[in-house]
Amino acid sequence: MRSLTLEGVSFWYPATDSPALRNVSLHVARGEIVALVGALGAGASTLLLVAADLAPRVTGGRLTGSAARHDRSGIVLPTPWTQASGMAFSVWDEVAFGPANLGWPTHEIARQVDRAIEQLELAPLASRDPVTLSGGELQRVIIAAILAMDPGLVLLDEPAAELDSDGARTLWRLIRRLAKDGKAVLLATSTLDALPEVADRVVWLEDGAIRAVGPPDLLADVAACDAGLGTSVATVWRTSGLPGPYPLTVAHALRRWR
Amino acid sequence: MIPVLRLDGVSFSYGSVPALADVSFDIAPGERVALLGRNGAGKSTVVRLIAGLQRPDEGTVWVGDWDTRDCAPEELARRVGSLFQHADQQLFASSVRDDVSFGPRALGVGEREVERRTDDALEDLDLTPHAAHHPYDLPPALRKLAALAGVLALEPALLVLDEPTIGLDRALRARVTRGLLERSAAGAALLVITHDLTFAAETLERGLVLDRGTLACDEPLAALLGDATRLEPFGLEPPPVAALSAALDLPGRPVRAAEAARELARVARGRPAP
Ligand SMILES: Nc1ncnc2c1ncn2[C@@H]1O[C@H](COP(=O)(O)OP(=O)(O)OP(=O)(O)O)[C@@H](O)[C@H]1O
Ligand SMILES: [Mg+2]
Repeated sequence: MRSLTLEGVSFWYPATDSPALRNVSLHVARGEIVALVGALGAGASTLLLVAADLAPRVTGGRLTGSAARHDRSGIVLPTPWTQASGMAFSVWDEVAFGPANLGWPTHEIARQVDRAIEQLELAPLASRDPVTLSGGELQRVIIAAILAMDPGLVLLDEPAAELDSDGARTLWRLIRRLAKDGKAVLLATSTLDALPEVADRVVWLEDGAIRAVGPPDLLADVAACDAGLGTSVATVWRTSGLPGPYPLTVAHALRRWR
Repeated sequence: MIPVLRLDGVSFSYGSVPALADVSFDIAPGERVALLGRNGAGKSTVVRLIAGLQRPDEGTVWVGDWDTRDCAPEELARRVGSLFQHADQQLFASSVRDDVSFGPRALGVGEREVERRTDDALEDLDLTPHAAHHPYDLPPALRKLAALAGVLALEPALLVLDEPTIGLDRALRARVTRGLLERSAAGAALLVITHDLTFAAETLERGLVLDRGTLACDEPLAALLGDATRLEPFGLEPPPVAALSAALDLPGRPVRAAEAARELARVARGRPAP
């Protein structure tokens, strides 16, 4: 079952001549995790905005082709601190803000909020004022606030950017669990080394167009390494001049080495 | 020689929330220091204290021979360039170039020198093609990079950078590394907060770890990043290159990609072909 279908999508930001997305066709199924990778400016963030129906609706600009969502979506922006409601004086109320706006009954709001707070390990911060949190603490709150709305299509732009190693591991594990529960997940990240364990498919964007799609092994390809999109291990292997195929992870390298 | 920065028994609380407890360390000119630790460990609080936006409850923050308690943030900016965690929101000029030149101009540097510093900083971070753009037409990662250029253009004795590489691709990260290495070679000290341990390994040489507001660790970064058991209590794990070196037992356990590749090639040459 598809959650998101993009067919031949091109997109221009207002007052620009060259498109930020060029003829992109992509679908994301329920239960699937798709990761967008590419150089900065290659179009991953724009693609997420299109998937969230924020571009062009909110950003302005022009879209050709078609973008169809088959589930309600929720997006975590790369600037999560701009997503706080500004109306809540506790973390719990911040996370409840979205669900309350969906008009759910009180007990359902409480159930979703409690679950999201637990998933992001925010219980110790639940009564804190969101404006007093550290960067990583706030990023977790915003992720929880989006997940508390129970979106079927989860869109995440650099969701681990400010998280510590433990927090990032918890997040990636949570994303796997969301997919297992049938959510569709589309994410953009520059943390390539996390993807072998997280993504089902990797989409390589270059200059607004899809250059390649494949399993995470894509991140050990010669071409990906040369474009700065190889995992750290694959890149070290390539730089060393050892023959391919390059190992994707430390575990692969160890098997190769023995 | 006077350290560029000295924290001497610094404690700080936000009301009832304790953030730092009795933190002491020195940084010498040209030193490249990583400040690591969990979310909420107190890293950004250190930045705010050094920038003079907060005053310590106890202890003293010395920037050279200035006690930050006696200095306004504008004065401290003559010696310290601070990049805040959410600096992408602090751009206000109508072009990237104007934003980058604002700092040196405010310091009263001559106009030719302002131009030179602005050009250098933009070039160092590969921002020259964006110089005429409005900051808010750029993606957040580039806005933060533009803010970093503004900090470099101050050419301060001490650079304090909170998460300088968020959302950057590998080429731009390498660019930041190179720019910072050049500044450090010219004598600037670096104190860099980052969760990106790969970037830290490539760029920095000494590791400080804050653990719930106390300084838990101060040692050479490469040794620390290669040691999973030392990192584990702080919620950190070795970056992939360090993990690779350990797994393959590469000589010298390199933590930087180029060195690991060199060792890997050397060891592979000495092995019988599979
Ligand atoms: N204005 C504030 N009022 C109350 N508490 C605060 C305030 N700012 C920060 N804190 C708390 O102080 C502690 C240290 O915060 P700080 O921002 O220094 O953490 P950090 O190490 O930078 O974390 P991160 O990696 O998430 O950015 C945290 O527990 C945080 O919640
Ligand atoms: Mg911080």
